[in-house]
Amino acid sequence: MLSWLHPLPKLAVALAFLLASILVFDLVFQIALSLGMVLVLVVFERVPVWKVLLLCVPFALFGFGFLTTSLLFRQQAGVALDAAGQSLWHALPFSAGLTLFFRALAGGLVSMAFALTTDPGQLVRALMACRLLPPRFAYALFSALELVPDLAGAANEIRLARAMRTGRRPRRIPGPVEIGALVVPLLAFAVRRAGRAAIAMEARGLAAGGARTIINLPRFSRRDAVFVGLAGLVLAMLVAGARTGWSLSALAGAA
Amino acid sequence: MTAVPQQPDAALAPAREHSPALAFEGFEARYPFARSAAVGPVDLAVRAGERVLLLGPSGSGKSTLLLALTGLVPQAVPAETAGGVRLFGAPVAGCRPSDWAGRVGQFFQDADQTLCGMRVEDEIAFAPENLAWPEPQIHAAVKKALAAVGLPQTVRRRRSATLSGGEKQLVALAATIAADPELLVADEPTASLSPRAARRFRALLADWPAERAALVVDHRLDGLVDVVDRVIVLGDDGLIVADGPPHVVFRRHCAALDARGIWTPLAADLDRELEAGGLAAETMPLTVAAALDALDARGLDGEERGRARTALAAFVSRHAPPPARPAGDAPPVVSLEAAACAPFLGPVVVSQVGLEIRPGEVVGILGANGAGKSTLGFALAGLLRLKAGRRVGAMGAVSFQNPEAQFSAGSVAAEIETALASGGDTGGRASRAARILRDWDLERLAARHPFELSQGEKRRLALACLAADERARLVVLDEPLAGLDRRGAAMVEAAVAGYVRAGRAVAIVTHDMDFALRLCPRCLVLGQGRVLADGAGATLMRDLGLMQRAGLEPPQIAPALDWLERHA
Repeated sequence: MLSWLHPLPKLAVALAFLLASILVFDLVFQIALSLGMVLVLVVFERVPVWKVLLLCVPFALFGFGFLTTSLLFRQQAGVALDAAGQSLWHALPFSAGLTLFFRALAGGLVSMAFALTTDPGQLVRALMACRLLPPRFAYALFSALELVPDLAGAANEIRLARAMRTGRRPRRIPGPVEIGALVVPLLAFAVRRAGRAAIAMEARGLAAGGARTIINLPRFSRRDAVFVGLAGLVLAMLVAGARTGWSLSALAGAA
Repeated sequence: MTAVPQQPDAALAPAREHSPALAFEGFEARYPFARSAAVGPVDLAVRAGERVLLLGPSGSGKSTLLLALTGLVPQAVPAETAGGVRLFGAPVAGCRPSDWAGRVGQFFQDADQTLCGMRVEDEIAFAPENLAWPEPQIHAAVKKALAAVGLPQTVRRRRSATLSGGEKQLVALAATIAADPELLVADEPTASLSPRAARRFRALLADWPAERAALVVDHRLDGLVDVVDRVIVLGDDGLIVADGPPHVVFRRHCAALDARGIWTPLAADLDRELEAGGLAAETMPLTVAAALDALDARGLDGEERGRARTALAAFVSRHAPPPARPAGDAPPVVSLEAAACAPFLGPVVVSQVGLEIRPGEVVGILGANGAGKSTLGFALAGLLRLKAGRRVGAMGAVSFQNPEAQFSAGSVAAEIETALASGGDTGGRASRAARILRDWDLERLAARHPFELSQGEKRRLALACLAADERARLVVLDEPLAGLDRRGAAMVEAAVAGYVRAGRAVAIVTHDMDFALRLCPRCLVLGQGRVLADGAGATLMRDLGLMQRAGLEPPQIAPALDWLERHA
């Protein structure tokens, strides 16, 4: 569903949600935002639950750091919460940590929802078309995006060549020493590859300035407007809820 | 050094038009820190309507010349240059390389260098997009370019990084021709192409519009020389040693080209034999089939037929497979049982593979682009884990299709020494390193960094490293001839003979059917996700039904074998 949308309104909405998750220091708001994103990903986008959970791990670990910090420095956290004027969860000794934990998770899930439903190529094209990104930077970005999987292939080739030299079959998963030893050759590969890509692009006419066509450009449609309107309404309700302490009458008034 | 303008041979074929599309005027290029010039000084001109084949040994500066055409050397690749380059009458020095994109289509030696790392459709559309063509025209150009190189429209959405080496080459070619250039410049376009795909490129060149020009560098000449109008040969020193129509250059300069280690077509070798027998056609035919047709058209009498048989037998004996050595009872070096092989992070491409390779065997692995030849090669060497089935045998050694993946040292000499050290060679390492450098003609490059070498020199270095490490009982050579000149190919053949003498097994992944026929008594033909046939190379390669199913073509020498059988 989200993948049908134009990347730019989707980007704007994602940025608005991210900004809200940073500014609204409210546990219910963060939980609602996280659950909403999970709902969108699992129900509407059919992303497997295991994949969502797996992708949440780094954000959860990041948030867990806040949680443990708040437990260890409970008193200071309470003071910070008082200063922020939040009262609903004030009674909980680790409420600040929980809020921070869910804020990290909500931010991650919003980013995930955007990344999993957006074709990077379409996004770059849309940014170029709106003159938000010059073609030279855009195609450098394209190259960089495509370089990531190529790096995996190059790393594999280097590992195989090393295995041949040592006479030992490569391990399924490289150990930390092996990964460390791959850094310099991969960096050299990336530099060579970037140089070659630059030459190829120049030979094929990519230059600063001048008009150029962009094919397969995503087009704006009515559903983008509907999406922005709905997302704005949901965000407004969540922010209003957080501001009014989740009082139903106030929420109804805001709606 | 001073420029020595080369006079074209007198019998130069009339060009279809006479305005110069490109001209090098005393052009010379020297890379930073290099002791000698990479190429030149060169004086040459290609007129509109000419299709020119540029030949020369590895490292003679062919690729440098092509890069200098639009100013990539020295504007994007630093070098000191002298003399000038003119394109369509205008000096290149005053323009940016990108300014020529609408008129010059450049296909680089390494397909990865032509492609920018996008999806296939975006790759092909890239130049027309930069030229601000209207979108419907771009879509039509993409469709036309895909059809011209024989790629299905279904590949449009695939990422170029997920393609096989040969498929990448085809996409790069489509991307080069999509903008309808007036001058096509192609550096080794068929190096990784299957015979059928290579034929498609040659057909494309044959149909190249009469008012346009093409400049091609390639080592696979059979089937190509008959679609070009002119051949220019660069010597080791980067100076032009021959220039003229192919039938003149290859008849008049054949011995000199052989001596310089430059490829000549099989037809030139056959022509030499027929000439020795007093049976040569007035104008040298450019394919083996055409030479035999000309021979038959003479209406040979008994004595002439005997001389023709002698000439053909001598020709065939130089290019036919060696007598198959009995595999013997020695335990196999490697065996695969019901194996399913998949490339790194990719799906299974060959399954149900069951085979054994014994010591001293040389096995060719043949198949169309993307058939899984390299994957099977890596699986045979034990470097790729099987998705199903079983492999028995010690780990083998592979010369990678991309030689750069094998380099880890700071100089050519250090690379060889590292390989010797890996092989456990302790005594006399210096003398062995010197011998290997000499055997692979790398002595003068010993101090250079491996990444500074030309593609052919890189290939030789990778093969030399493989030769230095004598532990592996199985050696897999993945496209060993790509980028190599004739001298390099002779080194590969000598190395393979050495492996066989040492009782090691060799598997050769190649698109060059004549090379496979000459070196591999046994061949595996891959296609339709499995091994279609496993048997004597000479028999399999002349099975037209099998070749058709595998997307392959019989070797160029096949008509000579047929002729000898008919006139036995």
